Amino acid sequence: MQVSLYTALALLVLTAIGFLIGRRRALAAARSGQDGARERLHSLPNYHGYYIALWTGAPALILIALYGVLGSSLTNMLALGELERASAPLRASYEQALTSDDRLIALALQTREAEGEIVTVRAALAAAREDSDRAGSEAFSGRLTEALRARNDATAEAAARRAELAAALVAGPQGQSADARALAGFEYFTLPAERRELFISDARAFAFGEGLPSRDTPQIRATAQLLPGYQNIFRFSIAALALAGAVLALTLTRGRIHARFRARNRVERVVSVALLICSIIAILTTIGIVGSLLFESGRFFASIDWRVHEFLFGTQWSPQIGIRADQIGQTGAFGAVPLFAGTALIMVIAMFVAVPVGLFAAIFLSEYAGPTTRAWAKPALEVLAGIPTVVYGFFALLTVGPFLRDFALFLGYEDAVTQSALAAGLVMGVMIIPFVSSLSDDVINAVPQSLRDGSYAMGATKSETVRLVVMPAALPGIVGAVLLAVSRAVGETMIVVMAAGQGANLTANPLESVTTITVQIVMLLTGDQEFDSPKTLSAFALGLVLFVMTLCLNVLALHVVRRYREKYD
Amino acid sequence: MVDTLETQHAEKTVYHPVSQDGAIKVATRAVNVLYGDKHAIIDVTADIPDRAVTSLIGPSGCGKSTYLRCINRMNDTIDTARVAGSVTIDGEEVNDRSVDPVLLRARVGMVFQKPNPFPKSIYENVAYGPRIHGLAATPDELDEIVRTSLEKAGLWDEVADRLAQPGTSLSGGQQQRLTIARAIAVNPEVILMDEPCSALDPIATARIEELIDELRENYAIIMVTHSMAQAARVSQMTAFFHLGKLVEYGPTEEIFTNPRDQRTQDYITGRFG
Amino acid sequence: MTEPQRDIRQAVRRRLARRHRAERRFQAYGVAALAAAGLFLVLLLGSIAIQSAPAITQHKLTLPVEITAELADPRGDLSEASLRRGSYNTLIQNALREQFPTVAERAELRELFGLYSGVNAARLLNRVASAPELVGGRVEFTFPISDDADLYLKGVTVRERIQPGLAPIAISAEDTDRWRLVSDTPVFAEILVETRQALSVEAAGLERRRDDAVERAEAARDEDARRAASATAERLDAQLQRLRIQAQPDQALQLGPTTKSVLVQVGDGVYRLTGIGADGASASAQRLIGEVSAGAVSDWRLWTVLTPPTARLISDRQIAWARALSDRGLVENGFNTILFTRADSREPELAGVLGAIIGSVLTMVITMLLAVPVGVGTAIYLEEYAPKNRLTDLIEVNINNLAAVPSIVFGLLGLAVFINLFGMPRSAPLTGGMVLALMTLPTVIISSRAALRAVPPSIREAALGVGASHTQAVFHHVLPMAMPGILTGSIIGLAQALGETAPLLMIGMVAFIADAPALGFGGFTDAATVMPVQIFLWSSGAERAFEARTAAAILVLLAMMLSFNAVAIYLRRRFERRW
Repeated sequence: MQVSLYTALALLVLTAIGFLIGRRRALAAARSGQDGARERLHSLPNYHGYYIALWTGAPALILIALYGVLGSSLTNMLALGELERASAPLRASYEQALTSDDRLIALALQTREAEGEIVTVRAALAAAREDSDRAGSEAFSGRLTEALRARNDATAEAAARRAELAAALVAGPQGQSADARALAGFEYFTLPAERRELFISDARAFAFGEGLPSRDTPQIRATAQLLPGYQNIFRFSIAALALAGAVLALTLTRGRIHARFRARNRVERVVSVALLICSIIAILTTIGIVGSLLFESGRFFASIDWRVHEFLFGTQWSPQIGIRADQIGQTGAFGAVPLFAGTALIMVIAMFVAVPVGLFAAIFLSEYAGPTTRAWAKPALEVLAGIPTVVYGFFALLTVGPFLRDFALFLGYEDAVTQSALAAGLVMGVMIIPFVSSLSDDVINAVPQSLRDGSYAMGATKSETVRLVVMPAALPGIVGAVLLAVSRAVGETMIVVMAAGQGANLTANPLESVTTITVQIVMLLTGDQEFDSPKTLSAFALGLVLFVMTLCLNVLALHVVRRYREKYD
Repeated sequence: MVDTLETQHAEKTVYHPVSQDGAIKVATRAVNVLYGDKHAIIDVTADIPDRAVTSLIGPSGCGKSTYLRCINRMNDTIDTARVAGSVTIDGEEVNDRSVDPVLLRARVGMVFQKPNPFPKSIYENVAYGPRIHGLAATPDELDEIVRTSLEKAGLWDEVADRLAQPGTSLSGGQQQRLTIARAIAVNPEVILMDEPCSALDPIATARIEELIDELRENYAIIMVTHSMAQAARVSQMTAFFHLGKLVEYGPTEEIFTNPRDQRTQDYITGRFG
Repeated sequence: MTEPQRDIRQAVRRRLARRHRAERRFQAYGVAALAAAGLFLVLLLGSIAIQSAPAITQHKLTLPVEITAELADPRGDLSEASLRRGSYNTLIQNALREQFPTVAERAELRELFGLYSGVNAARLLNRVASAPELVGGRVEFTFPISDDADLYLKGVTVRERIQPGLAPIAISAEDTDRWRLVSDTPVFAEILVETRQALSVEAAGLERRRDDAVERAEAARDEDARRAASATAERLDAQLQRLRIQAQPDQALQLGPTTKSVLVQVGDGVYRLTGIGADGASASAQRLIGEVSAGAVSDWRLWTVLTPPTARLISDRQIAWARALSDRGLVENGFNTILFTRADSREPELAGVLGAIIGSVLTMVITMLLAVPVGVGTAIYLEEYAPKNRLTDLIEVNINNLAAVPSIVFGLLGLAVFINLFGMPRSAPLTGGMVLALMTLPTVIISSRAALRAVPPSIREAALGVGASHTQAVFHHVLPMAMPGILTGSIIGLAQALGETAPLLMIGMVAFIADAPALGFGGFTDAATVMPVQIFLWSSGAERAFEARTAAAILVLLAMMLSFNAVAIYLRRRFERRW
């Protein structure tokens, strides 16, 4: 960190020097025209300065920034490369042991058989279902369960056997004579993929004091010892490269300055390219979102054997079960329907609050209220809109939830809970009120005054005008606003995390606690997590669903609103 | 310069608004309108006859539209507008607190510069007034009102087979006739028209002018127009407004052939406008 | 006026009153909607302000602590290393025991030491380590009392009533831990009646609920619902029977953990009644604290703790100790400085928001440095440079859609790309700031574009007209004029980011961080948390005292956002230009 920092500072100084040199040389070039006459500069001296400064500073700083982003992964990669080399003999004998172990071979055979069985039975099951042959499908599903169990047992046993072999190898003569580095490499490369991440981050924790290590073993310590060396090589070479590049660029560009040099055009070109890059970041963000969601969801679906329909239409959500490979309960554990239903229930409750209140507030503000009322009401609504959602969540959890529970108990409803769909929905509705009202306000104000005049001139009262003329005219826009509000409600996280509960109940009873897509994403990704387990990856699949849902709502809403605008512009 | 001119005229000429043939429908006395600090019309006094077309002419911003909007109290809908003076219809004060603008506007129809059919079907556009005022007891009665109104507006033949289509699907001229049909569906006594043809092409304008001429038999029509030719063609009475004041008012023929005021003369001969 | 016209006027007039009523009704809906929104706002802010009240002050205990050499300085050389090995918690414990010398039993001692958190010993250690001459002497050490005792002393969690004793009572020992209190007059009669009344009210409520459950069991359609309802009914019935036995008149009343605690204070000693005789004149009791004082006393106080022990986290004994310490003038209620000067802690009385504030500041610095330049750059490109083509159309649509992407999805992006792909540190302000920057970007872009579009084209044309290049016209003329709008929009976007929680949960900023991150370059990669996440963490804290601290933290966050917005308003006023 320190080295990069000093390099960056040195680069800034160099850049400033570059600027000054460019300026000075441009001025000199202007004075040294033929016959002592002042030659006209094509560009202002400052632009010559900017030109040199850009060439001196920008590439080197970009290099430093790249190092900042990618440096740690590169260091890890190099250190792991060394571990790989050091542990090569050990791993070779391990491979040898694996291939020559009878038990493992037998297990592999069993696994393959079971998998073959699974494929055939699944096909038969599908066929039986198609023919609505109940007895057949029951028999086949029984066989499928058995086959799945057989396969899982075999893979679990194989894993245990491999661990056993690895332990034996380490304890054996070859392991005794190997150095710590080789042992560390051996451990790392025999770890399952999802545990490697943790190994490295533990090593980094020891090496650089990044966070707290989860365990402390000689292997991790050995890896930790490797890391600083590589990091130092890296950062010193990057720093040297950046500085050398900057100095080189400074000397090269310096010679190009002369009176007719089109410095301004070049600088402006760079500026416009930089601006273009800025705007491409927005696209990159979208690509990043779509890409990472698709990729991780793909991994999730692969881990549940591409039974996407079970994810989308299954009614049983218990991701915890799916963690252990030896459990057959994986089937149906990732049915997201209860989540969709919970999300929909809360969204509907929120809309019941937000749409009437927001709409009537907008109507009142745009059609009835005097300037004084507007001067008070609009900022109040803005305050309501500016309050962080976590505050709404706190309000729902500690004020609204208990109140509703006590009220339900008072009315004789015994099973009332604090974390209920109703509490979350009501508070979310309040949060969305300003959103609906400000969007509807815009829409209502876009209705041409001539329509209102026409209605008033017919002798209509204000409310008749609003109900019969303004509202029908503004309807598409209001539908758009409501769609945007729905999208907002679907994607809202904190209120539901705090106030809706976690139980994946499939219910339409607003007094029960339900769970939503966003709550599950938070639950799955906070706390102790093993990356790469289907449980964690399922969060990305949920994220993908959420993204697609809100995107569709948003595109639809923007389309409706745009059509509406075009009508009156 | 302008000031002195105006004061001179004010001293010299006293206008006796004339009614052409008998009944006075609308009478205004010393009407003033202020939009915030802006004095939009000043002391306008005029008697407007029944069953005739009265044109209000004058340069832009002279207050003709404001004057028109005093008659059905449309200025009420503007927060900053204040109206003083007396406007009577059949001798009943309009600006009185006790007069309900709803009732007043049922008696005084209005047609606007830009055709403004509601975003509803043609049928519903015409049925709007009868519906809100509860004029039809049965659907058949409503059908009848819609049909006769559209007939009176000369639109029936063109739209009879597509009453369910939106009013905005019609052409500009048809839209304006639709708004006229909408206005006459509640059988008003006075119809105000605020430059009804300014957004239309000449052919559509001619049809509207014909229509106005027909409607004259049943209603008192007050029309703001930018076109002096139109005023001359359609109206029986003409009032010339300038800088918020009613400069001259009389039978159309007189105004156009023998204006008494220099400003009227200058305006109709095209020296300003 | 013709005949039909007259008819129409009549018809209109007939309906007029009804239509005006409808008009007023409609307007009332509007007023009601607005009032509802206002009411929600007032309720929200009001309830949070009220809830935060107990966190504003804090009770602190000041004890004379004997810094004995053998405990504070085990090696005896007064070196820092030796001092740091001392057992300072024992010193504080000794100081507390000094206050209540009769406490001897282990369990009782544990209860006594529950009045403060051992974490405080570190502060005493630092104090001694910085001034070794204190060893062997006595120091006045001030530290916060435990959260439960604090809330008790504030009267938040426990309701109590202290009355003077009506008549003299005689105290005699029955056996080692049972005492008998007897008086000539029924001094406990009031308590007796009161408690029985409360019990029968409770019984009536239970009975109603049981009957409901029975009814539901009978009406239930399916077997499961019926079984559940009858189980509830049985449970309630059992509770009811117990209550009924307790509430029976003409019997001695047993006091237990579910009834109020009745204490009798005699000088330094406090007795807790375990039962009251049917006559109301005698009672059996346990001694809670203080010296043994058998005999007749006339000066005593009847101290009723109305909140039953099961409904509070502080024991009767701790209440007696806390009250005694307070009576001795050792406890002082002062402004809760800890809330603003310390980072998070598991002990509510030692938890503060400083760490989260610093985390928020660091995160916002990153967000600002990334979102504002990139956002403004994009806006300038789209408004001033972009040719009308597929790419720019795509960018436009893209930005509009990004603005509506739920914030949690940005968190998923941060987790998948920044942390897993780029290997950036988890829980760090750097990563958090980058995620929030991406989230804020659309807001900044959209408001900057609006500001740029509001600059009249005449400015641009005038600059081009005098020979400025396009870039010069934009950067020298258009951009400065659009600056107030851009700044306002950016600040509003940043304020939004400041209040954002969900994406930060995804990238692990939800960790418990007991040390405030450094306010410097190193702090950007340290593990940190931010204000909204701190609020989220505290809101799920089990201790009651966290509730008030959460509310106080919310007020701090709102104040931060308010100052952001105030800056925006100031800038808008200051630089507003009209043309």
